[in-house]
Amino acid sequence: MRLEALAVTLPEVAGHPNRVPFEGVLTLVDEPSNRPPSGARGHRVILTREAAIAALPSLLGMAVDYAPGWDGHDARRKCGIITHADVEGNRIEVSGYLFGKDFPEVEEKLRRGDAGSMGMSYELADAHVADLNAAVWSLTRATFTGAAILLREKAAYKSTSFRLCAKRCRTTGIAGSAKPERKAAERQGRTSGRNNWQMQTGKETRWR
Amino acid sequence: MEIEASNILEKLNSTVSLLERTVAFLEQREALMSGDVQKIVAAVEQSGEGSLREAELERKLAAAEQQIAQLSAQASKAAAPARKTLPAVTTQLLAKGGITSLESIEAGALDAALTGLSLEQRIAVKAQLIRAGALA
Repeated sequence: MRLEALAVTLPEVAGHPNRVPFEGVLTLVDEPSNRPPSGARGHRVILTREAAIAALPSLLGMAVDYAPGWDGHDARRKCGIITHADVEGNRIEVSGYLFGKDFPEVEEKLRRGDAGSMGMSYELADAHVADLNAAVWSLTRATFTGAAILLREKAAYKSTSFRLCAKRCRTTGIAGSAKPERKAAERQGRTSGRNNWQMQTGKETRWR
Repeated sequence: MEIEASNILEKLNSTVSLLERTVAFLEQREALMSGDVQKIVAAVEQSGEGSLREAELERKLAAAEQQIAQLSAQASKAAAPARKTLPAVTTQLLAKGGITSLESIEAGALDAALTGLSLEQRIAVKAQLIRAGALA
């Protein structure tokens, strides 16, 4: 398994009232979207792996937003932050924090909603399309400017997902419901107490 | 002399305007051809111009389909032959031959019922039945 990962490690704050960890699948790489995204002039799009990996640094620190109808983006309703991004297999996995104290209604909706009903959508700027005449646009360059939490059925990629983790954030950097590999990663790469970022490129396994 | 200068100035103005339009067009075309897209959002378009147009077209299509259905219903009503009553003599004649209902007349039964009639009479009865819509 080939993996590219980037993370912003935030200082540990036990029981932080405004950090609700989340994780999700933002999009797929090297696979066409199920439906044409907004701004693609009716074309479905493929985000190439190379473009996605090159754009990963731009994703960190970007906000997640939501629209009241959970059907699109509203860049003025930023309710969380992305602190970690992986390209794992053909998925871009992200995790971060929702501002639970500032947006209690969002947290409630996400906790009470049907499991598996929510997805994610990226927002790209300065994208480059290899061939504008192609039926499916291939994005060879892009910059992530944000992401939205929305109903999965409203996302251009149906395989995206979003979920809040069970517990409040108690770890640094990566969202609270850390997978075993992530815990190992923290043991190896922990830099608690200071903001920094780490990059692991082209590893065969995660954080070995 | 003044008129000539004025004409030249006018022509120059129009040429400049044309050049400006051409440059704008070329710039636009270059941006399109370069493959650069300012913004892409991986959410399905909700309230853009495209979806509004789509919604309007869907509404028009639904209205057109309803109208077609109404017209088809009217046409089929108009096309259905109005069933006429048969003369009493013909009805009696058919009843003697065992045909009491005009809803389903079999060709064999009709021929059998009409065997006692002349050719002209048989033709006349069948013509009456066709006019009445009992025979196709």
